[in-house]
Amino acid sequence: MTSKKALEATGLLAVAVALFFAPSFLERGTLNDVWSVALAVVLASSWNLLGGFAGQVSIGYSAFLGIGAYTTVLLALNGTPPVLTLPLGALLAAAFSVIIGYPTFRLRGPYFTIATIGVGEAVRVVASSLSFAGGASGLRMPAGSFDFESNFRAMTLLAVALVWIALAVSRSAFGSALAAVKQDIDAAEALGVNSTRLKVTVHALSAALVGLAGGLFAINFQYVSPGSVFDFRLSLTIVLMPIVGGVGTVAGPVLGAILFGWLQLKLLEIPALLDSSLFVYGALLIAVMLFEPKGLLGLVRRLSARRLRRFYVDA
Amino acid sequence: MPEPVVAVRALTKRFGGLVAVKSVSFEVAPGEIFGVIGPNGAGKTTLFSCLTGAQRPTSGSVHLRGARLDGLPVWAVAHRGLVRTHQIVRPFREMSVADNVAIGARFGRGHRRGADERGRIQEILARTGLAARAGSLAATLTLGELKRLEIARALATEPDVLCLDEIMGGLNPAEINAAMALVRALRDSGLTILLIEHHVHAVVGLSDRILVLNFGETIAAGRPEEALRDPAVVAAYFGDTREEAAV
Repeated sequence: MTSKKALEATGLLAVAVALFFAPSFLERGTLNDVWSVALAVVLASSWNLLGGFAGQVSIGYSAFLGIGAYTTVLLALNGTPPVLTLPLGALLAAAFSVIIGYPTFRLRGPYFTIATIGVGEAVRVVASSLSFAGGASGLRMPAGSFDFESNFRAMTLLAVALVWIALAVSRSAFGSALAAVKQDIDAAEALGVNSTRLKVTVHALSAALVGLAGGLFAINFQYVSPGSVFDFRLSLTIVLMPIVGGVGTVAGPVLGAILFGWLQLKLLEIPALLDSSLFVYGALLIAVMLFEPKGLLGLVRRLSARRLRRFYVDA
Repeated sequence: MPEPVVAVRALTKRFGGLVAVKSVSFEVAPGEIFGVIGPNGAGKTTLFSCLTGAQRPTSGSVHLRGARLDGLPVWAVAHRGLVRTHQIVRPFREMSVADNVAIGARFGRGHRRGADERGRIQEILARTGLAARAGSLAATLTLGELKRLEIARALATEPDVLCLDEIMGGLNPAEINAAMALVRALRDSGLTILLIEHHVHAVVGLSDRILVLNFGETIAAGRPEEALRDPAVVAAYFGDTREEAAV
C-alpha cells in the first residue's frame, strides 16, 4: 500500500518535472496541444469529484470556467496581476457553487441535473447582458498580459495537481462519505453523514479548481465571451469526458480527457468536421453506455484481466 | 419508571387525507426492549421515520433524554444517539463490509479516526458475527448477513437508542434465534432498543413492553402477553369474532 503510494507520487512528480521543462524541448504547436489536453484533464477530473465520487451529475460546469475567466479579464483590465486574479476567480467560482448548491442539492438524481442546466444557461444569459462585461461580444485581455511558458506550466501543473487531489480524496474519510452518499444517500444520512454539507463542500472544491482553469483559459486565449466560456456544449463535454473515460475513478477522467482533447485537435484539422465534435462525442457516449458502462478504464481492466486469465489458464 | 430515554407525545403524521399515525404517546425506559407491532399499514414504519427525522411529524413531539428530536434532520438525530436500521436493507453495495461499518464509525456520534476507528470496527464486526466477511463486498452478502450489517453500521455510530425495523423479516428459524440472541446481548451492553417486528414469537420473546398499532392508533400497550390478549388486538389481527359469530 505504501509502496503503491510512493510509486504514484514518484510518477506524478516525474510527469510534473517533464511538463515543467517541456517548453525548452518541445515546439510551440505541440505545447499548445498539451495545454489543451491539460485543460481537459482539469475540467474532467474536477467534475468527477462531484459527479463521479459523489454521484451528482451537473451539466452546468461552464459557469465556473466562465466565472474564473471573467474574473481574470475584468481585474486584468484594471491592472491586477494574475497571481491575484486567478485565486480570486477560484474563490468566486466556489462561492457561486455554494449559492446554487444549497437550493439545487435539495433535488435528487435527474432533477438535480436539470436544475444545473438551468443554472448554466441563466449564467450565460446574464453574462451576455452585462455591459461592463462586454455583453455578448465579450472582453479582450490587456495587451502584454500573456506569457506562454508560465501559462503552460500553470495549466499542466494544475492538471497533475488534480490527479493528486483526486487520489487523495478517493482515499480519505471525506471520499468514503462521498461514496456512501453516491450509493445510498438515505442510508448515509441515517449513519450521521450530513449529505448537504458534504455535497456543497465537494462542489465548492471542484468549482474552485475549474475557476482556476478559467483564469488560465482567459490568459491563454486573451479573449473571453459568453459564447466561449458559458457554452452549453462545453458543459456537456465536461460531463462526457469522465463518463467515456470511466466515471468515479481517478484514471478514467484523465483517459477521457486525453481522448477528447486529442479528438478535438484532430477534428479541428479537418474543416468539414469542425462543428461535428458533439456528434462524435454523442456516438462515443452511446457506444460506452451500450458496451462498457465503466468507460475506457473498465475496458482496459477487462482486457488486462482477460490477458491475465489467458496467461494463467492457457499456459 | 425511571426517567425515560425516549418519550413520544401525541405524535400524529398525516399524508394528505390519510392519518398514518394518530396521536401516539409512549415512553421507553433506559435498557428496555420496547416492541411495536401491528398489521400491515398500521403506521409502524411511519412512526419510526418520525422518531429518526426522516419524516416530520404533523403534530406532537419526540424527546430523547428530555431534548426535542422532531424537526432535526436524520444525521443530526443520529449524532444525538438515536439511530435506525432499515426494513429493506440498504447496504453500500460497492463497499466492503468493513467500509460499510466505517461510515457509521467515522460520521456517527463517535467520529472515530485511524487506529481507534479500526479497533471499533473490528469489535462491532465480531459482535455481529461478520468478522469473517469484513473484506467481502456488501453486494455478495446473504439476506441474514445484510440484516446484521444494518445493525453493525447502526452500532458503529455509538447510539443510546437503536431502532430495529423488521430485522427478522425473511430469516429462517435458526437465523431468527441468532438475531434474538444478538438483540438481547445489545440490550445487556446498555442499549435501549425499539423494535418493529412482524414475527410475533420474536417480539413477545424479546420485548419488556409492547405497543400495538392499528390504522395509526394505539389499540393496546403493556406487557406482551397481556397486550396480545386484549380483545382489540385479537380483533385487529383475526377479525372481530363476535361479529362473525353474529352473522
